[in-house]
Amino acid sequence: MDAFTRFTNQTQGRDRLFRAIQYTCMLLRYLLEPKADREKVVMKLKKLESSVSTGRKWFRLGNVVHAVQATQQSILVSDLVPRFCLTIANLNRVIYFVCDTILWVRSVGLISDINKEKWRKLAARHYYYSLLLNIIRDVYEISLQMEQVAQEKAKREKSMPQNHLGPCVADEETEWLQSFLLLLFRSLRKHPPLLLDTVKNLCDILNPLDQLAIYKSNSGIIGLGGLLSSLIGMITVAYPQMKLRT
Amino acid sequence: MDAWVRFSAQSQARERLCRAAQYACSLLGHALQKHGASPELQKQIRQLEGHLSLGRKLLRLGNSADALESAKRAVHLSDVVLRFCITVSHLNRALYFACDNVLWAGKAGLAPLVDQEKWAQRSFRYYLFSLIMNLSRDAYEIRLLMEQESSACGRRPKGSAGGTLGGGEAGGTAWVSAPGGSLPHLALQLRLRVLLLTRVLQGHPPLLLDVVKNTCDLFIPLDKLGLWRCGPGVVGFCGLVSSILSILTLLCPWLRLKP
Repeated sequence: MDAFTRFTNQTQGRDRLFRAIQYTCMLLRYLLEPKADREKVVMKLKKLESSVSTGRKWFRLGNVVHAVQATQQSILVSDLVPRFCLTIANLNRVIYFVCDTILWVRSVGLISDINKEKWRKLAARHYYYSLLLNIIRDVYEISLQMEQVAQEKAKREKSMPQNHLGPCVADEETEWLQSFLLLLFRSLRKHPPLLLDTVKNLCDILNPLDQLAIYKSNSGIIGLGGLLSSLIGMITVAYPQMKLRT
Repeated sequence: MDAWVRFSAQSQARERLCRAAQYACSLLGHALQKHGASPELQKQIRQLEGHLSLGRKLLRLGNSADALESAKRAVHLSDVVLRFCITVSHLNRALYFACDNVLWAGKAGLAPLVDQEKWAQRSFRYYLFSLIMNLSRDAYEIRLLMEQESSACGRRPKGSAGGTLGGGEAGGTAWVSAPGGSLPHLALQLRLRVLLLTRVLQGHPPLLLDVVKNTCDLFIPLDKLGLWRCGPGVVGFCGLVSSILSILTLLCPWLRLKP
């Protein structure tokens, strides 16, 4: 219980937990909707999802400052490609949080003449850009890791010469693909934070892709992706060493 | 900016900010009503207050576990009175949060058969018990400190105590045993005790903060349970003051009363 208390004392921990609950409801709704006698349960899941989603806005208020601080920190990154990607990604996050705050003002009823659809689309677009840039940065880091692993493997093979005679049954293309996938697997296994961050960004991008109608999926896939990314978020809060360092 | 990031990273801090905003809205709504502002503005403020209240209920989901954890830790305190007061206070808080969770479930539409009034009254009752325990603990701490102070003053030689206060207190403790219960004598004793209390509270800011916070908080359940109807203005003002004080204890951890 002590660990649970320490976890929920952090805003991000609580927020990720509620996000997991929200996307679980979305997934369960998708699975139960076709069933005939589950209307009541589906209705309750919908209500839970919407109240958790509304309540989570309170966790996001003031995150503009967090994003501005993250932008300031990402300008100081040494490597050029991550510096560029992270700075632009964080700037997009700042704009996303500004749009989100405006949507909150509208939902609370302080200012009624705000075009909800326009601001929602704007928020989704900038969230999408920030995730895209994060994925580009992840791909760059993965390629660096793969290069490193390949160099280490080459060094080891040079020091231990072996005979590679034997019938080459597989096609050359599939052999290249196999060795590429093996290299990818090895580099990600060596660097769990990078793996978690990549999976999280890929899961997260499903939602804006659907909202912006770039790649329409169903609420089941979005729910599953959101749940997975929330679980990864919870792991990075509970175990800070799993967070990808800039 | 860094201070805001660190502050808002604690979920309790955000909840306290929402509480301050909620009671500020309540106070503002009452002031606007008294001065005859437009009904639309009043409706907006009431709506914002409602959103804040519901949002806070969600932010508080899971606080029962925190209160139970604090109660578990308080069981190991050495002083019997403190152990009793703090443990019972935390247990009542845990029950208050549990009732609050039921209310949230009702409002969110998950449990539509929940009797909102009954559970609200229940939750305020537990909150009131917890505040009474907190105030008892504060009174006990004040009494201990006053005893310490007055015995320290009595041990100091009469000449060296600076000003009339020290001399008066040292004289006061000597005069306690003096015969006669005349009115000016009692008034002097009372004045001395009040001065001692002020001195004790001035020397212990965390205790002073806790006393003021609990006293302000006390008005809320007293009003909601109908025991002492003070009106929405007083409730709003007291709620705002106690929220600001608890935000202060979060910003400056040395101002928090230990344990």
